[in-house]
Amino acid sequence: MQITKLEQMLEVLKSRPKKRLVAAWAIDAHTIVAVSEAVGMGIIDAILVGDEAIIKDVCAQHGIDPSIFRIVSAISDVDGAAKAVELINAGEGDFLMKGLISTDRYMKAILNKEKGLMENGAILAHVTVAEPMGYHKLLVFGDVAIIPEPDLNQKIAICNYLIKTAKLLGIDTPKLGILSASEQTLPKIRSSYEAALISKMAERGQIKGAIVDGPLGFDLIIDKQSAEIKGVKSEVCGDADCILFPNIEAGNTFYKTITCLMGSELCAIVMGAKVPAVLTSRGDSERSKLYSIALAAILA
Amino acid sequence: MKAITKLSELASHVRDRGFKARVAVAAAEDQNTLSSIARAVSEGWAHAILHGRQARIEEVCRADGLEPSLFEIIDHPDELSATLEATRQVREGEADVLMKGLVGTDKFLKAVLDKQKGLLPPGAVMSYTCALDLPKYPKLLFVSDTAVLPDPDLAQTQAMINYSVAMARRFGIECPKVALISATEKVGPSMPSTLEHALLCKMNQRGQIKNCLIDGPLDIFLACDPAAGEIKGVKTPINGEADVLIFPSLESANSFYKGLMLFAGAELAGLIQGTVKPVVVMSRSESAASKYYCVALACLMAEEQ
Repeated sequence: MQITKLEQMLEVLKSRPKKRLVAAWAIDAHTIVAVSEAVGMGIIDAILVGDEAIIKDVCAQHGIDPSIFRIVSAISDVDGAAKAVELINAGEGDFLMKGLISTDRYMKAILNKEKGLMENGAILAHVTVAEPMGYHKLLVFGDVAIIPEPDLNQKIAICNYLIKTAKLLGIDTPKLGILSASEQTLPKIRSSYEAALISKMAERGQIKGAIVDGPLGFDLIIDKQSAEIKGVKSEVCGDADCILFPNIEAGNTFYKTITCLMGSELCAIVMGAKVPAVLTSRGDSERSKLYSIALAAILA
Repeated sequence: MKAITKLSELASHVRDRGFKARVAVAAAEDQNTLSSIARAVSEGWAHAILHGRQARIEEVCRADGLEPSLFEIIDHPDELSATLEATRQVREGEADVLMKGLVGTDKFLKAVLDKQKGLLPPGAVMSYTCALDLPKYPKLLFVSDTAVLPDPDLAQTQAMINYSVAMARRFGIECPKVALISATEKVGPSMPSTLEHALLCKMNQRGQIKNCLIDGPLDIFLACDPAAGEIKGVKTPINGEADVLIFPSLESANSFYKGLMLFAGAELAGLIQGTVKPVVVMSRSESAASKYYCVALACLMAEEQ
């Protein structure tokens, strides 16, 4: 079934075998509450890696029964991240979540050459799934957080992650729009030039499973009428499932516009490692954290 | 109009249109040039103005059994003067086609390319397109660039497409199928031409290149063999029925057409592109039929639309 609302992810997960979350240095209320909610709904199992005493303390403060988790002791944030990654590599967990540890330390554990979670040559990227108000379906887009200025190879990797995510959300053949300022192919503008390359690669089956078109302006990607006015015939226009942003500024601004100005819900994960990794920030809403866990569980 | 599918239909098509082009020939002192233009004149679809040493022209005519009175002959002391005057006539509208005779290609092109007195508008790309008549292909194949641009960049390739499309349309092919030729249909940075091909396709989809249907990169099979798409599992709107082949380099285009001339009995009609009026430059190694077709092509393209 195609998921058109983020909430539906929860229903889908309830009908599937539970995936196991491993939370790295999960000693803060933000993380523990979000994980406990997901566990309480019966959509995942969870291992919290952290200081057991602190974890139990936080649980007590929030009326959470700590026995719903498996707790694995760690002595520091770095130790917690390393142990969490180790648990994944040992096959004891299906996906990762960041606790009270800085993003760079968390990523360092994932990227560690000997003990981390990266296959040779893999590209780590950030994928967001949003439910933008006024749009008729979910939008999967990236990269708004990890790769500042993706090159052609990285863009192709991001496209593949967006497509994979959309497919796992039940969209058989996702439509992917590649963003630029305009639908005209302008050889001197990199975003425009590379968009044309990527869409031809998809036509040739070098990127599989999706209908890809670009360059397209944002209006054309989400609004069929704009495309008609501008005379652009494309299956993607007005019905995109995925958007590839040319750089982090564009993607991040879109992300923040729909959350800050439109109040839309969204969730996000990091892809490219052996397992999906949740990377919520403390500023995210409770809902958004829950959805991010759910998204990672769907992709795990 | 019904599309012209054989070069042998070309001359009668030109004659039927009733436009009699005035062909100014620079240094018309060789048998090759004179016999091809004489046939056009005697069939009544071209008027020839021969520039050169009059005595020499008449001598070559007699040696070849041609009647000098078929032509308007303008006497010049040397090839340079003949070339400059023939070029001037075309530029100033006294003639419709410029044709190279017995003058070196470099001298001839220097006159054509001269900024003040030549035939190339400022900023225009000069290129070459030829129409190939192939025994084993059901229609004509327009190929570029076989002669002028060694290593065309994106803008030049775009010009090559536009010229070739304009030519194919004169042959009655309303929306020519343009295949951008490479060694593979895959797009990748290891073959830079494939990247340009992807761009050009998208420009076509977006209406930035009009009047044609472009796909590429494609190899020759996908471009010209309707069975290849299925075999290779590649979907292309060209579908083995290309009208125009655009090559990534002069070497590849030149080898392609010469191979076909040599081994497959192809005939051609070729023309310089980008000039204000058609310019005919023929190679001495071409067959008499091909030379005649070149003149017919120039006369077809000379007609104002």
